[in-house]
Amino acid sequence: MSTLPATRSDKNQLPVVQQIVSVMWPSFLTASLATVIFFTLFDPVELGMIGGFPDLTRTGGYTIGFFCFWLLTSISCALTCYFRRPTNREIHPNSTTKS
Amino acid sequence: MSQPAANNNETPIEQVLYKKREKIYPREVHGIFAALRLLAMAALLGIYYGLPWINLDGHQAVLFDLPARKFHIFGLTFWPQDFFYLSMLLIIAAISLFMFTTLAGRLWCGYACPQTVWTEIYMWIERKIEGTARQQKKRDQGPHDAAYFGVKATKHGAWLLFSLWTGFTFVGYFTPIKELWGHLLSWNLGPWETFWIFFYGFATYGNAGFMREQVCIYMCPYARFQSAMFDHDTLVISYDEMRGNPRGSRRRGTPSAEVGLGDCIDCGLCVQVCPVGIDIRDGMQYQCIGCAACIDVCDDVMDKMGYPRGLVKYTTEHALQGQPTKVIRPRLLVYIAILTFVTGALVYGLLTRIPLEVDIIRDRNVLYTETDAGLVQNVYNLKLINMYDKKQSYRLSVSGLDGLQVIGQTEGIEIESGAVADLPLRIEIDPVELKSSSSEIRFHIESETTPEIVIDEHARFLGPVAR
Repeated sequence: MSTLPATRSDKNQLPVVQQIVSVMWPSFLTASLATVIFFTLFDPVELGMIGGFPDLTRTGGYTIGFFCFWLLTSISCALTCYFRRPTNREIHPNSTTKS
Repeated sequence: MSQPAANNNETPIEQVLYKKREKIYPREVHGIFAALRLLAMAALLGIYYGLPWINLDGHQAVLFDLPARKFHIFGLTFWPQDFFYLSMLLIIAAISLFMFTTLAGRLWCGYACPQTVWTEIYMWIERKIEGTARQQKKRDQGPHDAAYFGVKATKHGAWLLFSLWTGFTFVGYFTPIKELWGHLLSWNLGPWETFWIFFYGFATYGNAGFMREQVCIYMCPYARFQSAMFDHDTLVISYDEMRGNPRGSRRRGTPSAEVGLGDCIDCGLCVQVCPVGIDIRDGMQYQCIGCAACIDVCDDVMDKMGYPRGLVKYTTEHALQGQPTKVIRPRLLVYIAILTFVTGALVYGLLTRIPLEVDIIRDRNVLYTETDAGLVQNVYNLKLINMYDKKQSYRLSVSGLDGLQVIGQTEGIEIESGAVADLPLRIEIDPVELKSSSSEIRFHIESETTPEIVIDEHARFLGPVAR
């Protein structure tokens, strides 16, 4: 998942590894934390009963829960990365779109 | 030794756009600190791979039994309700890390961090199969022939096997490892277990085999904030510029003064051994994980040259400036105070912890009933959780109102370790004894087998007020 396309004038571009890592890693950490706290309070088996998955095992519940959290947190990290991309680096007065 | 052998290590890692990271081929080191690191690694890996196999009273001594929502740690059983202890443990770990960082810099990174430890192991495997750093580099730059792929395949095979074993051990902390082993042998692993073995194994393979120092540089939060704990009295690895510069090569055994140079012979070995690819002589850098490989290798060179050791050494900024180093300082004392307090609280909490949980739930449907005999009756449902690691037998008594009678089991309530028991109870009383419509009564539950397990819980008794 390479996040940002190269912009020509962008000398401050982060290395690719750092880009990937800055999305996947903080989201991994927060997802782990969320998983621990969430499942300390709620038992996945009981949630499965309510949600209509009576066959869900605890291990399965934890796993699915963790990856759902990770997906969500990585989306928010990716959006952060996306939005912190500088806009209008070069301003050309009187000219229209130029990337 | 003339010019330093050309090496990629001197080029900075964070460079231009999309330039691929240059692989670092750290040279193997021998010496005091290398031996210490080896010792620390052997101990830590021994604990990691060995611990799940240790049994205590017929149970796995350390088992974070997620399927049963219970943590077993050496005879103690923790429930989700005991989350508090876990958070205290984490606070202790964090403060200890701060304290050691203040005292001795990145000790954690160099000697104990799983990333370092596993990277070392993977490099060791790599060296056993691919040969020395020089041979590895030569192979990578040479033709990609059958021999090349043979060696690479062997290495990755060994890495993968080791990774899977690591993943297996990891899962073994969460499901009983002996059962897991049995399932593995009979090719009968559960889907989630299989998934986690591969997931954790793959993470290890990637982090220790490929990412290596990039994890420390790009991923590690500690690496970014550790400098906040540093002061001028913190032990760091540093090159003695005053003594070393100007650098230059010279014939072995030549006194530095004779050639008008400092003690650094500019052999570049400190750069060649560096696992993160920095030059320690450029001063303190946040990439430095404090592994002390450069100290070992430079001491060796100094010995060969007949110079005193310690051109690169563990030192403090104050010492480098010729000032005395203060070990005891306010910051450290604060850490020690917090650490003592939290540890004390944890130990106290664990010692006085009562491994029995009692929930008293009043029957919600009726407030009270009147029996044929004219007594007022309340119905309760007691939920008892035996959090002790052995089967227990409990007795209970109820007090708080004169002449109350308990109908239901009050003695010999047997509950297996870790089990939950529901105990329906009816309490009856002559209404003349009731002073108000809601009176407080006290449930006293004690273990018949382990006298220190005693719990008092309060509940309300409802009834009509006698007029």
